[in-house]
Amino acid sequence: MIKVLFFATIRDYTNEKETTAEGASSVEGLLRLLCARYGPEFEAEVFDGGKISDRVIVLVNGKHIAHTGGPLTPVKDGDTIAVFPIIGGG
Amino acid sequence: MDKFGSIVRINLTTGSIKKESLCEKTMKEFIGGRGYATKVLYDELPKGTDPLSPENKLIFANGPLTGKGAPASGRYMVVTKSPLNNYIASSNSGGFWGAELARAGWFMIILEGKAQKPSYIWINDDKVEIRDASAFWGLDSHETTDKLLAAVGDDKAKVACIGPAGERLSKLASVMNDKNRAAGRSGVGAVMGSKNLKAIVVKGSSRPHVENQDEMKSVLATAMEKLKTNPVTSQGLPTYGTAVLVNIINQIGGYPYKNWQGAHMPEADSQSGETLARDFLTKRYSCYACPIGCGRVTKVGDREGEGPEYESIFSFGVCCGVEPLEPIIEANYLCNEYGLDTISAGVTIAAAMELYEKGYIKKEELEGGPELKFGNAEAVTYWTKKMGLVEGFGKKLAMGSYALCEMYGHPEFSMTAKKLEMPAYDGRAVQGIGLNYATSNRGGCHVRGYTTSPEVLGLPQKLDPAEYQSKPTWVKIFQDLTAAIDSSGMCLFTSFALGADDYAAFLKAATGFEYDGAEALKAGERIWNIERLFNLREGMDTAEDTLPARLLNEPIPEGPAKGMVSHLPEMLPEYYKLRGWDSKGIPTTGKLEELGLQ
Repeated sequence: MIKVLFFATIRDYTNEKETTAEGASSVEGLLRLLCARYGPEFEAEVFDGGKISDRVIVLVNGKHIAHTGGPLTPVKDGDTIAVFPIIGGG
Repeated sequence: MDKFGSIVRINLTTGSIKKESLCEKTMKEFIGGRGYATKVLYDELPKGTDPLSPENKLIFANGPLTGKGAPASGRYMVVTKSPLNNYIASSNSGGFWGAELARAGWFMIILEGKAQKPSYIWINDDKVEIRDASAFWGLDSHETTDKLLAAVGDDKAKVACIGPAGERLSKLASVMNDKNRAAGRSGVGAVMGSKNLKAIVVKGSSRPHVENQDEMKSVLATAMEKLKTNPVTSQGLPTYGTAVLVNIINQIGGYPYKNWQGAHMPEADSQSGETLARDFLTKRYSCYACPIGCGRVTKVGDREGEGPEYESIFSFGVCCGVEPLEPIIEANYLCNEYGLDTISAGVTIAAAMELYEKGYIKKEELEGGPELKFGNAEAVTYWTKKMGLVEGFGKKLAMGSYALCEMYGHPEFSMTAKKLEMPAYDGRAVQGIGLNYATSNRGGCHVRGYTTSPEVLGLPQKLDPAEYQSKPTWVKIFQDLTAAIDSSGMCLFTSFALGADDYAAFLKAATGFEYDGAEALKAGERIWNIERLFNLREGMDTAEDTLPARLLNEPIPEGPAKGMVSHLPEMLPEYYKLRGWDSKGIPTTGKLEELGLQ
């Protein structure tokens, strides 16, 4: 089972803070699977055409996917995926 | 040069009040605010001056953009020699006070000497008076503000003041303005207290001069479009405030837990910006001309106030092992009222908790107060109050984490850089921010060079927080740009959407000086170097460009960044080289000549 956490405005699209998923082997596959679950508004936020949107930050076990292989970053049972919008502070 | 405002030099010992003109050359080279004030302090303060003596100077300085309608341009700086570490103190605040000072026709206030009795300064346009503040001494920042507005008979005036912590010379004391805005760090409030100066009340009625109004309108339109379309400045910060960072910093494993004994808190979402917005937020607060509005007005029970920021949630929350927001918010309110820096206050309590749990602070010393155990929420609020009042064991806490830990023979538990408590990002998990803490001229501070932005948030580009080879370059650029922004009078948070060229365009429109992005960065570098020269003159050993041993030697024990330590030793030589300093971190003659600092 893969654990998926949602934060900030992403929760507006999912109406829940976390979920679990199975059957995906990459981050992109997982997010596609979640699009089917949460609908077009979630999909419009997470994807731009065929690519994962620049408006989201996706972490796999705390590492940004930009540094772990991008959309093809493998995911497996026991992993934690976190999905954030672009945020900032200080 | 008086068209950009003048300098008022006030000697509190003699009562003399003198008007001086700005120096055009200094303004061009050091911009204003942080830069100009540091140049004044460097030129005028004798080496070795006791920070809490009448000989120290306390400077309030606007930037050339403060109060001139640029976005988030209500910032002013408080610059002095810090009583916490004897180095440069350089604290920035927003709200409306700085803009009002500009409207009164003043750019900078230089305070010297020490008043014989509690005093405040009343600035009403070009009239400047020193008045008796005996009736206000002992009052908190909110009571002081209300009563001073009544005393001057103008509720539209703006007040910057100290609370009891500053009066009683706590080295963690802040200067508060507009009740809840703080020039928080480095003990600037103690310097104000040492001068018997309770407050500066300002009222202005003129429109600050802008050299080229048409150019300003054009630059403003471009910048506003960027701020309105940037997701951070248009959505994240307005909706959740800075506390939106709690979850992401926790998720990457860089959320300093129990005095940096860990870096991850499983329950962090209960103290996140999302929870704050859902359960406690009553409305947003915006400083002067700010389109972002990251300030939080909150309510807990029958108490209403401002905050907490992300940093305060970290310091009183995760750093002290405290989970619920209620006591964190209460501690934040107390800091606003007593005039204490929230970062330093919380991190000092966390250090005391480690000393207590390891048996170095004895229960009897607490005089019946709550035990200093991690996770004890009652201890956080109780000891914040005692620290603010500088009472009982709170006297020791009010000296700051480093002095406290040294007093008990264990300075290694003090999570400080150059004796200033570090903020809310673990320098082991986020390598660049660790280098920034170690090299920051005022000590452990995130907003001298906020590389968390690229390292965690991916802005302006995505950097791997664990990688360290590229970080010296980024740290230098961020430090130099921040010095320029702090000196301009605009808020650093605009930099999520704006870049060096935008700030240069604003500066050019406001002053008529030929700034471009490169020149703004060069001015920032000049400011960084003069701060460095100030510290070196005061006896700073460059070996102090370091981090607590815990960050260098103790791997993060758990969470997503498990096993990581800071690679500061590898980064520092490259950083010195990029700065044009020698291998020991001393600016070279060539660099100083290049910057006009020789």
